[in-house]
Amino acid sequence: MSRRMSKTGRDRLETAIYATISVVSVLVFWHVFSVHMLKNEFILPSPMQVIGGLERLTLGYLGGNLLYHTGSSLLIVITGYLIGLGIGIPLGIMMAWHEPVNRIIGPVVAVLRPIPTPAWIPLAILWFGIGMSGKVFVIILSAMVPCIFNSFTAIRETPRELLDAARTMGAGKRTLLFEVAIPSGLPTIVAGMRIALGNAWATIVAAELVAASAGLGFLILAGYRNFEAPVMAAGIISIAIVGLIMNFAFQWFESRITPWRESEER
Amino acid sequence: MAMEQDTGNDLSFQNLGMVYEARTGSVAALDGFSFDVRANEFITIVGPSGCGKSTLLQVTSGLQAPTSGKALLNGRSITGPSPDKAMVFQSFSLFPWKPVKQNIEFGLRVSGMSRAERDELVDYYIGVTGLTGFENHYPRQLSGGMQQRVAIARALAMRPRVLLMDEPFAALDAMNRTLMQEELVRIWSEHKPTVLFITHSVEEAVYMADKVLVMTKRPGRLKCTIDINAEIGCAHWRTQPIDEVLLVPKFQELRHRVWEEVRAEIEVNA
Repeated sequence: MSRRMSKTGRDRLETAIYATISVVSVLVFWHVFSVHMLKNEFILPSPMQVIGGLERLTLGYLGGNLLYHTGSSLLIVITGYLIGLGIGIPLGIMMAWHEPVNRIIGPVVAVLRPIPTPAWIPLAILWFGIGMSGKVFVIILSAMVPCIFNSFTAIRETPRELLDAARTMGAGKRTLLFEVAIPSGLPTIVAGMRIALGNAWATIVAAELVAASAGLGFLILAGYRNFEAPVMAAGIISIAIVGLIMNFAFQWFESRITPWRESEER
Repeated sequence: MAMEQDTGNDLSFQNLGMVYEARTGSVAALDGFSFDVRANEFITIVGPSGCGKSTLLQVTSGLQAPTSGKALLNGRSITGPSPDKAMVFQSFSLFPWKPVKQNIEFGLRVSGMSRAERDELVDYYIGVTGLTGFENHYPRQLSGGMQQRVAIARALAMRPRVLLMDEPFAALDAMNRTLMQEELVRIWSEHKPTVLFITHSVEEAVYMADKVLVMTKRPGRLKCTIDINAEIGCAHWRTQPIDEVLLVPKFQELRHRVWEEVRAEIEVNA
């Protein structure tokens, strides 16, 4: 998913051909292995059985169809993600710009950072119950931490010469922050937002596996409890598809918000 | 604060000293540097690496305060950066996220100039520096020579009293460098701001300057001044193309003299 990927039609075609070959080979291998060698659909259903599973999900499974469960997961992810960005990015920027803020909040962030977000899930359930708020809480954490870290790094690594150049042109502290440090660090900040989105998506699935009554993670767990491997696999594939779509949407967003970086290719 | 004496000069350096505290001990970059620059003078500064040339510009721009002595602009102590002292950096220091036009107008916008005034000035300097047609390009889409033109336009648009240039052409290839030297002289002569121009090229120094300052090895102080105008005695050669000036015996003699002075400093170092 390199941003430097060339944009000529020929290269695009080649990329598409390789992608098709790669996905089709996995499907063929999967089919041959499950149908002709393993022959145990409780352990590994065949691709066709998984399509059957997807069909079952779209018709409705445990309270709603696939769209309902996907929507349930997405609602929590987007809510928590946006709050996480809203807290994390300004906090990281402020920590980098005002040393006292860094001295006070920095140590707390340093402690939070190495904790994998799923570790919070049981505690979040204890505090907020199994409803939406507990999950939103862990999603906020999962999105906030990479945003703080990347925003902090982005501002701290503003090239000294750019700040100097702006200062010689009469820029004050506010202008330096909003017109030099933040735009200069924007690619790094956006990279943090991307990591945060991946984190949030992984975390919601984990949270739904622990306690939920809807959502894609819940579907997988339900499939497991009902000995329905095709449903579990269909749930996993749905997660992958939504993840891919989010990634593409993010790439589009990235190219819009940092247009000067696209010009590097030319 | 004590009264500053007005020396009648545009820039005045009085016994300037700069000591950096490092973990390994203190390093004196400048020591007792004194010199007066008259308004509209084009000064080039040469000297061995690490002799404090860049420090001198940093102090003049107000980005750093000297540890001793003082730097005066128009009789007043320089206390911080301000738009009347524009700087052109070796690495261009353009804002990569801003197209050419926005890069050039940055300082004007920050200083609160109206849009109409800004547009007029920016358009003028885009024309003067030969950037017409590239207004909406991002810096990365331009060659090194073009990027440095943007940096020069950005500095000139501030209509500074003093233009500080820290090896501005060092990152350019030899041909672009020659072209830019001639271009800079042409652009400079339109408004003649006072220029402090640091370079490692003796040829460049002698071609463009009214006066060449040679600095000693670290800690840097003024070794000697070569008054090019006085030496030439008639019209300055910088209005002619470099390849022609290179053939002028007086140019060759002065280049040789400056080089001998610099060389002595480098060899003392070795």
